Amino acid sequence: MNRKKKEMNITAKQQAAGWAFLTPATLLLVIMSFYPIIQAFIMALKTGSSANMQWCEPITYNFTRMFSDKLFMRSVVNTFLYLLIEVPIMLVLAILLAQLLNNKDLKFKGFFRTCVFLPCATSLVSYALIFKSLFATEGLINSILVKVGILSENFNFLGTTYTAKAIIIIALIWRWTGYNMVFFLAGLQNIEYSVYEAAKIDGASGWKTFWHITVPLLKPTIVMTMIMSINGTLQLFDESVNLTKGGPANSTITMSHYIYNSSFGEGTTNFGYAAAMSFFIFILVAVLAFINMKVGDTRD
Amino acid sequence: MKKKLLSALLATAMTAALLAGCGSSESATAEGGEAQTEGASEGASSEGAASEAGENKLTVYAWDANFNIPALQAAADDYKANVDSEFELEIIEQSQSSDIENAITLAGSAGDYSTLPDIVLFQDHWFHKYQKDYPDAFVPVDDAEVDWNDFGAEKLSYSVVDGTPYGFPVDNGTVIFAYRVDLLEECGYTIDDMTGISWADFIKIGEEVYNKTGKYLLCMDGDGNDLIYMMLQAEGESQFKDGKPYITENGTLVEIIGVIEEMLDKNVLYLTNDWSGYTNQAILGDMVAGVMNGNWIIPTISQVEENSGKWEITSLPTLNGGEGYASNGGSSLYITANCKNVDLAKKFLSYTFGGSAATYDAALTNGGVITCCVSAGQSDVYNQGVAYFNDQPIYAKIVEMGANVPIVEQSDYHYTCRTQIAAAVINIHNGADTMTALQEAEDQLNFEMGN
Amino acid sequence: MTKTKRTNGSAIQKRLIPSYIFLSIVSFISVFPFYWMITAATNTTVEVARGKITFGSHALENFRNLTAGQDLWGSLGNSFKYSIAQTIVALFICSLAGYGFELYHDKYKDRVFSILLLAMMVPQVATMIPLFRMMSKMKLLNTVWAFMLPAISTPFLIMMFRQNSRNFPVDILEAARIDGLNEFKIFFKMYMPVMKSTYAAAAVITFMNAWNSYMWPKVVMTDNRAQTMPMLIANVANGYTIDYGLLMTGVLFCSVPTMIVFFVLQKQFAEGITGSVK
Repeated sequence: MNRKKKEMNITAKQQAAGWAFLTPATLLLVIMSFYPIIQAFIMALKTGSSANMQWCEPITYNFTRMFSDKLFMRSVVNTFLYLLIEVPIMLVLAILLAQLLNNKDLKFKGFFRTCVFLPCATSLVSYALIFKSLFATEGLINSILVKVGILSENFNFLGTTYTAKAIIIIALIWRWTGYNMVFFLAGLQNIEYSVYEAAKIDGASGWKTFWHITVPLLKPTIVMTMIMSINGTLQLFDESVNLTKGGPANSTITMSHYIYNSSFGEGTTNFGYAAAMSFFIFILVAVLAFINMKVGDTRD
Repeated sequence: MKKKLLSALLATAMTAALLAGCGSSESATAEGGEAQTEGASEGASSEGAASEAGENKLTVYAWDANFNIPALQAAADDYKANVDSEFELEIIEQSQSSDIENAITLAGSAGDYSTLPDIVLFQDHWFHKYQKDYPDAFVPVDDAEVDWNDFGAEKLSYSVVDGTPYGFPVDNGTVIFAYRVDLLEECGYTIDDMTGISWADFIKIGEEVYNKTGKYLLCMDGDGNDLIYMMLQAEGESQFKDGKPYITENGTLVEIIGVIEEMLDKNVLYLTNDWSGYTNQAILGDMVAGVMNGNWIIPTISQVEENSGKWEITSLPTLNGGEGYASNGGSSLYITANCKNVDLAKKFLSYTFGGSAATYDAALTNGGVITCCVSAGQSDVYNQGVAYFNDQPIYAKIVEMGANVPIVEQSDYHYTCRTQIAAAVINIHNGADTMTALQEAEDQLNFEMGN
Repeated sequence: MTKTKRTNGSAIQKRLIPSYIFLSIVSFISVFPFYWMITAATNTTVEVARGKITFGSHALENFRNLTAGQDLWGSLGNSFKYSIAQTIVALFICSLAGYGFELYHDKYKDRVFSILLLAMMVPQVATMIPLFRMMSKMKLLNTVWAFMLPAISTPFLIMMFRQNSRNFPVDILEAARIDGLNEFKIFFKMYMPVMKSTYAAAAVITFMNAWNSYMWPKVVMTDNRAQTMPMLIANVANGYTIDYGLLMTGVLFCSVPTMIVFFVLQKQFAEGITGSVK
């Protein structure tokens, strides 16, 4: 509050310097993100081979087309399924881990933190390969489950719709929980210890402290990780491509994967249509992020 | 106030300078001391520069270091040794065929083909579509000195558009059916018993083999639909008729789907989830007693050393009995619009892949690439027995089978169709009604084709 | 913070046993795939396919085959060059912006900021073709520029620097202004040193993203000499026949550098993410 008032007094020339600071980044984003997305929008109104694109007849053809495209609709449903299951589990797990690691009495903190973070250092190709072989019909997970007696015979996890979806979700959780955990850990470390002490004196239980003190103070972090996760999941691509190739029978395909297939993958170089579908994702993400920010806004 | 603004501008300029300084030193190192510091401003990408640089140099995009690339290397060595000692071929490895398709797409959509190399290796089934979509991307080679009649007609049909040849065939996608003869023998069969049989007989033998040895007589990747396409071609049928999907009304196709479902139910056919499951889990994991695919699958089979001498190959079963022939996969070499020395490219390709025994022999020995050029397939190397395949002269046999492959109707939507049918097979196996699943596949295909 | 509560340390540790167990399980699950990757690099492809998870004796052979077929050192070199360049430039540009947005913030800049955030939501597939056209027209293909230009100004990094700048002591700023330092000198002389752990955290994230990026480099780096590590792995991972032992050796070489970067900067990374200022 105090700072804000002081900033009111900053003279115009300092404001100008401020603009200079953000010019390079802003210009770059305009040229490298906004200009291309406008071009993509124009492309979405056209059809035909990319060397010789014609205006659509009617102009909204690509946009109306996607709603009668069963495969695209399935990809939308799949993506939302991943979103609704994966993001909450991952974020809760990340907060839990952060909470455990923030205990000042815990030993080997550095070791645990490193282990949990390690998965996000792997490249997407390698982690998909690893998961694929672990969950293969003759893979390690199967032999363990059979030995323990949970399964009576080897099960084709990646070849069955429901389990293939589950594995994509597990893989996502494996890869990204540590990443999000780091942000929560950071958020927790910013909370003064005295706040907890005070709560203890007031007789609040552990759960109450967590719910009424930790969570509200972590709100900005939660909003940020949530937006990042929603954004990442709606644009989910590599896992679908590398783990299941969208199969079996296209039942695990994601929106970005289908868009990629429409523009590069399967030889149907339908850029106009692909651009229209990308726009759909763009709008979805923007709307969700907006809701998220409104709900979690702490600034005013 | 002005002073501050000035300093602001200065800082921006500094930023820019810093950026530029950092960048140019980076690109200088990136280009590896090739005195291409000005690479960016000079206005030419490295290939562009390369193809202008040497009069004896060509660049080519290719994929698969174990297969196509040794073949190209063999051709380069051959040309260098026997025609032009100054000749140089730079092979730019791509991770998969779609990388090259994407490169054409991107260059085409930028309206600038100068990013392409002189020559590209291109998948056969895609060529017609790309030639249609990007008519300026490829150079016709009708005046090359090649005896086109020396090539298998089916293979050639992929690279000829409206009577004009565009490409030089490299490999031969002829399908082989390889069997573990030791396991067959255990069940009382020989390779001859497997030749020219019907799928119904095949299923009977397959059941026996599975019950006795625990191994599947056939395996396939459930993601593509190589199997259905090959079985269909062996019957001389296509998934398309007059440019339209020909699925639900195609009696042969429906019958084949029935055969596949029966094989799945009776443990004759093992379906993996994807390609790596097919090669690694099924073939390298020693789960199968038979493999049916394009002959490029041979190097994969041969990786299991302990089974050396236990395999032999033959033709495909058919629905009503009689030997079936099909072709799957394969690619050809095309000269791009960016080639600065078209004459050299034509000369090089006609000399080598146009029928040079030296090229094809080395390609076979180093990469297992089998020619579809009939005369080149008669060399000694081709007639040698192969130890892994029980000393059977498999290469000569493959070239011979290749000449019998029937030409069937192709479509720009070849692979789209295959993916849709593969999805239908899986759905049927999981309990969906055959005709409903096929109708769904046909509908989606029609949707994508814009019908 | 307070060292007073030393009273019953063992009782506290006892209470933490479930935490230790849980953390150990999570750590095991996180680390196991790496173990698998390392063992796979020492086995033949047939052994890998059959699920062997103990060390084998083919490490050298796999390595030799990899270097024989692929330009491993060249690709490693390229990956390092591009990733380091991208990291340095991105950190500089985004920290400038984050600093500007936070310490000079007014309602116009805030509006610009929320518009910039929209860029985060642009799907990569949508902009690929227009960006390729742009790079091709500017003749930047196969240069480090094409590699990094779309990725050096990211809303995420700007946001991170902006958030951490909140902890930048404004008193220093005021004092420096009174001393007559101009705004840019303040940034270079005061802000940058103070924020070094934020820079470290941003460096780790940017470096990892740059190192692991595949789709875009694949599109713009068409020359063999510009190949990066993920491209090399993709070359090995696709083809009619895949050698898994060899592939995992490649994956290992691709994973080690990002891990080293993380290990080296780990402490600063944790501090930087927390936004703590020294």
